[in-house]
Amino acid sequence: MANQTNTTANLADDLPLNAEDERKIDVVKHSGLLLIACAIGLIANWVGTGTSPLVALPGMAVLYVACIIGLGFARFVPFYLPSVAWVSLIAILITIPGVPGAAWVSEQVEHLNFLALATPALAYGGLALTASEFAIARRSGWKIVIVAICVMIGTYMGSVVVADLFLRLGQ
Amino acid sequence: MTGKPGAATGGLYLHVLVLAIVIVCELIGIQRLSIGLGTVIFLPILYAFALGILLNPAIFKASAKFLSKDAVKLSGAMITVAIMPFIAKFGTTVGPQISKIIEAGPALVLQELGNLGTILVAFPVAVFLLKMGREAVGATYSIDREPNLALIADKYGLNSPEGAGAMGVYATGTLIGTFVFAIMPPLVHGLGIFDVRALAMSCGVGSGSMLAACTGGLVAVVPDQKDIILALAAASNILTYATGLYVGMFVALPLTEWLYNKARPSDRKTA
Repeated sequence: MANQTNTTANLADDLPLNAEDERKIDVVKHSGLLLIACAIGLIANWVGTGTSPLVALPGMAVLYVACIIGLGFARFVPFYLPSVAWVSLIAILITIPGVPGAAWVSEQVEHLNFLALATPALAYGGLALTASEFAIARRSGWKIVIVAICVMIGTYMGSVVVADLFLRLGQ
Repeated sequence: MTGKPGAATGGLYLHVLVLAIVIVCELIGIQRLSIGLGTVIFLPILYAFALGILLNPAIFKASAKFLSKDAVKLSGAMITVAIMPFIAKFGTTVGPQISKIIEAGPALVLQELGNLGTILVAFPVAVFLLKMGREAVGATYSIDREPNLALIADKYGLNSPEGAGAMGVYATGTLIGTFVFAIMPPLVHGLGIFDVRALAMSCGVGSGSMLAACTGGLVAVVPDQKDIILALAAASNILTYATGLYVGMFVALPLTEWLYNKARPSDRKTA
């Protein structure tokens, strides 16, 4: 039993629990990696939608800059928000009608298919799974698989029912 | 084999392999399968993840020749980097729709509490049907993505029963979450009961890949509502980033604990 507990702790070592610590990230190194991700994203968009990377380039450049600024905020702003939250807020701000350049930004990013931009991340995700993550999934057994599916259905349907109710009330 | 590939070469192989996977998956494109009550949608992100797993060095031994341990580690770092342009693109869909979002504001905020539906559905199944022990608390209190897992690690430690439950759902969710979130929303839409805006704003559960799968599936079945679907999903996902941890900490986890103690009074935690 002690042995098994020990293995579980070892398995947990390389779970992405430290992913939250963005206060120490190297923005320069990340801007290089982000450049690679954006390049692959442009090609995904090209293959998926037929939009030439040259046409989509200005939109991607805007997204790239938004990401870098978001990373910088997560790193340097005195209170903590994850970089994805910063990136979202910046992206919203620069597309609100009335904000200078918003129409141009919206027009440029329209050349990028949202789903194609997620494909590279999922490919990295599949390759990044470690032996321990497979081991945890295998060890947890079929009960956890059923519970996990119920968790996902419950989370989604709970939100759907509440949202639908309040949308109706608001009408 | 003389020596493992260097860090730089390993990284290069990784990016080239990802590029190859991406091209293949985008060429296959979105596929639809009509079944009785709706349409099952297969998205490129699903193939990309599946191909990634098949070529993962832990599964496919030949990959280990090209992908060192460092390359796998880099791949992990690249997930958070590569999802950023997607998150940014998602954000840009909100701005132009901002007035419609504000209009849906109350529903948008309150549906965050709907995430507690996991306790309603999964807790009884885990405790009464599957007779699970305290693992059920960690497993069912939330969707168990990274911040929720961190909360459990902090409160119980990961080598506790609660930690084992949370890690199990985390790992399973990582493996099949994209699939479940691509399949479920179009089927729920097929029931014809719910407002598509409700289906869209429920996509924001705090995981980039689940968000992509969920919105991708919805847009595939309701293409003319694409703009509002993306905008509501993006807004809700940002709300989840902001509130998810606190709802978990102050509402969901205490509630699950309380329910567990009611259901199993003899198994009350003494610590």
